[in-house]
Amino acid sequence: MNYWYYFWIANFILAGSTFAIITVIVLVRGLGDLRQMLTNLRSEVQPPQ
Amino acid sequence: MIATHFSPLDWLIVVVYLFLTLATGLYGRKFIGGISDFLVAGRELGTFIGIATLAATEIGTVTFMYYAELGYKTGYASFVNGLIAGLVMIFIGRTGFIVRRLRAMRLMTVPEFFEVKFSRRLRVFTGVLVATGGVLNMGVFLRVEGTFLAIISGISLNHVKAVMTCILLLELVYTVLGGMVSIVITDFIQYVALSIGTILVTIWSVHAAGLPRMYESVRQTMGLGGFSPFANPNYGLAYVIFQVLIWLAVHTCWQTTAMRTFSTRSPEISRRVFSWTGFIYLGRGMMPMMWGIAALALLGPNQNSIEAMPRMLATVLPSGVLGLVVAGMLAATMSVNSSYLLGWSSIIAQDIILPLRHRPLSSRQQVVLNRTANLFVSAFVMVWGLWYTLPGPTYFYLNMTASIYLSGTLVSVIGGLFWNRANTLGGYMAMSGGAIATIAFFAFKTPASYAGLGAFILAGIGMVVGSFLGKRTQRSPALSGKSPPAS
Repeated sequence: MNYWYYFWIANFILAGSTFAIITVIVLVRGLGDLRQMLTNLRSEVQPPQ
Repeated sequence: MIATHFSPLDWLIVVVYLFLTLATGLYGRKFIGGISDFLVAGRELGTFIGIATLAATEIGTVTFMYYAELGYKTGYASFVNGLIAGLVMIFIGRTGFIVRRLRAMRLMTVPEFFEVKFSRRLRVFTGVLVATGGVLNMGVFLRVEGTFLAIISGISLNHVKAVMTCILLLELVYTVLGGMVSIVITDFIQYVALSIGTILVTIWSVHAAGLPRMYESVRQTMGLGGFSPFANPNYGLAYVIFQVLIWLAVHTCWQTTAMRTFSTRSPEISRRVFSWTGFIYLGRGMMPMMWGIAALALLGPNQNSIEAMPRMLATVLPSGVLGLVVAGMLAATMSVNSSYLLGWSSIIAQDIILPLRHRPLSSRQQVVLNRTANLFVSAFVMVWGLWYTLPGPTYFYLNMTASIYLSGTLVSVIGGLFWNRANTLGGYMAMSGGAIATIAFFAFKTPASYAGLGAFILAGIGMVVGSFLGKRTQRSPALSGKSPPAS
């Protein structure tokens, strides 16, 4: 029982910390991706004259 | 009335958040030029915005509710669900299994694959199964989400129905107007809000209950079954195998997830998105399960299992934090519902109505048709959510409604991509076999693991037998991934 418990707690700590780290990375780098996406879409919807 | 710390400050946070979401969602409508912008955001997703939208789409209040319910009922053993979901996604990301080839085909919906590989009629047949399973799956979201909001805010369930209807209409407005572009923009904000909410709740609930008390509660209530998935009567080996298969199918063939694969800039980016998001999926499962275990420790084992987690949060979280958490949960709700609305209505429009028409529609007309289908799906979800009563734990219901088509679809997609012999008859038999086994779950109350595993086995047998009995299908050049866009 204890082995399972420690196994799950280790998994939980790993899962929680990677979740938090990836959130920060996505927050920082996702904004650039979003801008790029909107710029590309705008150029498709309104082609240059 | 339930005791809660929810105050006017919390309501203010929630209302400001909702207006912010609506405004950004409406901004997206400017970028809709045609059907590929509306359904797959012009295939312009980069890696990190891809991670945000995929994670936000598949993390909703309903996700927190059913995973917390599993934690409350099955203790630490429930973590096996989160572990499998995450590991299977990481495997797909590392290998590019299925997703890389699907992305290379430049599809917009999963059933579209069936026309490219098999036949137009099989595409329509698959479209009907996908739409049925998907809409039934989504049908219970409002009820579960409403239960959460009622308990945590302390308002009556009748008022919550009105609030949930307003939120659905709000999502509908920006989904109908801006399609996938609006969804991606709002998903980014929603991903940040829901992640902060998830982390806050995890820290608060573990701190309030304490790890030793949580361990003792699970041990006393469930014994070894609360820790080992192989000793728990709800799980076992058949269940583990079923979970591996269902998650393989969900990550590759579930329409809302597949739409993210189709929306990325390249097959390589889609692979990368899955590699990263797999780690998020580990936390997506295990953190809310921990909330359920904290509820067990703090409230005891005699609560209504689906209500235990929000009841615990309503009493543990202070005012202010509660508003942030509810805003985070609403963010999760809106990102899931808007994506699901778009996903299932796109199937009805693109894979059922369009192929049955004699004359094709222009790209603009397809956008209008998809918007009309959005309205239809919303109306159904509202009605179904109000009167349907779940036959068991929410997680098992969602698994089974997904299995209606996922088992046959996964088998057909693998056959279509990797087996030259796979043909249209095999596709029909795989889809029918998977659906029949799943319907048996509802009709004969078969345990979810056996019905689910049976669905995949029947679908596999159907594909092999049908492919050997039927005529060979001509392999389309689009399958190489080097063909011009299908649409």
